[in-house]
Amino acid sequence: MKKIVATLLAMTMLLGLTACGGSQGSGSTGSAGTGSGASSGSSSGTLTVNIWDSNQQAGLQQIADEWSKTSGVTAKIEVVDWDNYWTLLEAGASGGTMPDVFWTHSNTVQLYMDNDVLLKLNDYIDKDDAIDLDNYYEGIVKLYTRADGNVYALPKDHDTIALLYNKAIFDKYGVEYPTADWTWEDMYEAAKAITESSNGEVYGMAMNVSNNQDSWYNIVYDYGACIINDTHDGTTIGSAEGKAAMEMARKLLSVGAPQSVVAETGTESLFKSEKCAMIMQGSWMINSYYTAEHHDDYYWSLIPYADVNGNGQCDSGERYSAYNGLGWAASAATKNPDAAYSLISYFCSKEGQLEQAKLGVTMGGMKGISEEFANAFPGMDVSAFVDIEDYDLFFRPYTRKTTIWEDALQQTGGFLDAWQDPSDPALMEKACDNAQTIIENAIAAE
Amino acid sequence: MKASNKLSAAAKSEARWGWAFIAPTMLGLFVLNFYPAINTVYQSFCKTGDFGRGNTFVGLANYAAAFSAGETWHSIWNTIKYALIEVPFGVCIALVLAVFLNKKLKGTSVYRTIFFLPMVCAPAAVAMVWKWLYNQQFGLLNNIFHSNVAWISDPHIAWISIGVIGVWSVIGYNMVLFISGLQEIPGDYYEASSIDGATGIRQFFHITVPLLSPTTFFIVQTRVIGALTVFDLMFMVIDKTNIALQNTQSIVYLFYTYAFTNGNKGYGATLVVILVAFIMLVTVIMQQAEKKLVYHA
Repeated sequence: MKKIVATLLAMTMLLGLTACGGSQGSGSTGSAGTGSGASSGSSSGTLTVNIWDSNQQAGLQQIADEWSKTSGVTAKIEVVDWDNYWTLLEAGASGGTMPDVFWTHSNTVQLYMDNDVLLKLNDYIDKDDAIDLDNYYEGIVKLYTRADGNVYALPKDHDTIALLYNKAIFDKYGVEYPTADWTWEDMYEAAKAITESSNGEVYGMAMNVSNNQDSWYNIVYDYGACIINDTHDGTTIGSAEGKAAMEMARKLLSVGAPQSVVAETGTESLFKSEKCAMIMQGSWMINSYYTAEHHDDYYWSLIPYADVNGNGQCDSGERYSAYNGLGWAASAATKNPDAAYSLISYFCSKEGQLEQAKLGVTMGGMKGISEEFANAFPGMDVSAFVDIEDYDLFFRPYTRKTTIWEDALQQTGGFLDAWQDPSDPALMEKACDNAQTIIENAIAAE
Repeated sequence: MKASNKLSAAAKSEARWGWAFIAPTMLGLFVLNFYPAINTVYQSFCKTGDFGRGNTFVGLANYAAAFSAGETWHSIWNTIKYALIEVPFGVCIALVLAVFLNKKLKGTSVYRTIFFLPMVCAPAAVAMVWKWLYNQQFGLLNNIFHSNVAWISDPHIAWISIGVIGVWSVIGYNMVLFISGLQEIPGDYYEASSIDGATGIRQFFHITVPLLSPTTFFIVQTRVIGALTVFDLMFMVIDKTNIALQNTQSIVYLFYTYAFTNGNKGYGATLVVILVAFIMLVTVIMQQAEKKLVYHA
């Protein structure tokens, strides 16, 4: 027995040692990496750039390389996946080792802006001929401008939502294809027909309710309610309109893939493995479907609308798509702020934005260049993402601490019971009331 | 031996070397363990500011919030449920395997290696593989049994599925400890008892189990602590969107959510301090039980 204990103790000590060594090692290489990136930025010239979407890495690197040709500074784009990105960025902000240039997002940017960890861009923008904030989508510019007028990020892109469907499945079950005149009711009927005639083999639709931006948020706005109001201090999710919208969402869920299935496999995999006929997707996902195996069967359609007044046509305010825009920001602690801004400016200049659209990376944060993007995918018609701009757009709802109420909405006491059992309208109605309280309390605690 | 308070030159030099040798470990312990631990306790009494700036002392407010929140108790209960699967099954199966693999048969080393392999794999990789085995649509399990069970997203089943992964990962480690414990039991007992006509099963229950009880206790104690601090399995297998999350998330997972996803370090620290206190309590109870349950030859 003693022997075992002794050996184990020795082993744990060894483990402890190696663990220490390991973490010290990685810690030092990590800081050396960013450190050298930042410090040598002034001399030999390297900027560390962090993003979270590997789909965009190649295209953005190409644009950055062009910038390097004129600036003489190298920009190295590194991808960190979404979840770890924010952990890393927060640790970087606390410890003063953030990457030089990086993406920001509406979920978290308020926190970073309030704590002065981002580079203030106003003076640079004033001197820069390539950047005029009026040329960008207002919601995005507003998002990255602090109440005191300081600008902390330039709009990188904007995105919209469209309906993606698999023609082969519609053909197989003899259901009419989605059209631009579809209401949510039409989508419900089609999904129901497919789910029922395939005996549940294929789901008519799938909606990942935690991807709120490309799913139920849109329905809420179509019915005249909102998740967060324009002044960012309230919600109308618990109103009669909100409840009507969520009732529609409930109906869609009741004929679509159950959330237990979606949570395990994901709507993207379900769709690509031909287990589901329709999903709603954001424009940032196009490339993934464009390069998929069965992409010949995939078609995009305008996001459905809600015929609230019942006149059989889509009036103003009945068809909304969420839009969001990432921002290019720089660290306040960067050793080379001029180069960092120069790179941001290049990404957001007309030249960089056009290049980004042409390469099919994303649509622009600058207005009026979406056409280029629609042409970036020969053989696939992605005009649904551009056409929606003739209707209404709402900016992705955010408050100072968005993730807190977003997460709370997904849990017990929020929408969880209703998501789990979409057959019961009473559960959904109760969930709307809960959601109203959750959001109001969360805002009060911010 | 001469009894002297003063150290000889050789002893002094030895002591200096001793300190020199443990200095790196001590330094590591202080910087990476003791300081963060103390700081965690301090933070649990604070409303922590963004990016670690501007902590304000709030006394027991975090504790009051944690104790009155249903999810704290729920996740502690989830953690206990996980421990209730992992520890008993992990120990019993490992014990039986150890007894078989302790026999002098052909190929035991091959089997020992096979059973120990899960210990060598990275926990994250193990979790990912199991996640796909369990997948409702395309998973191997549902394919083999021609079933359609939501192994990891049905709230009533998911905690068991997670527990199974835990058992699978830990059996090899427990088994190796048991084997070394078995080898310390003198063969005379078995010889004598078989002359008296004892069967293998009787030998197992009347010789092996009691004489092995110090090892068993050691394993149970370390595994209970391990199970109460489980995190990676839930984190890797149960997605954030999974409706079974609330019925499976461990207390450490909850801590992670608050401290790192929501950026509320103070509340996260509170949850960890509660967990540490709970583990201490469990350990004290087990130490008391040791005196009654463990057979010391």
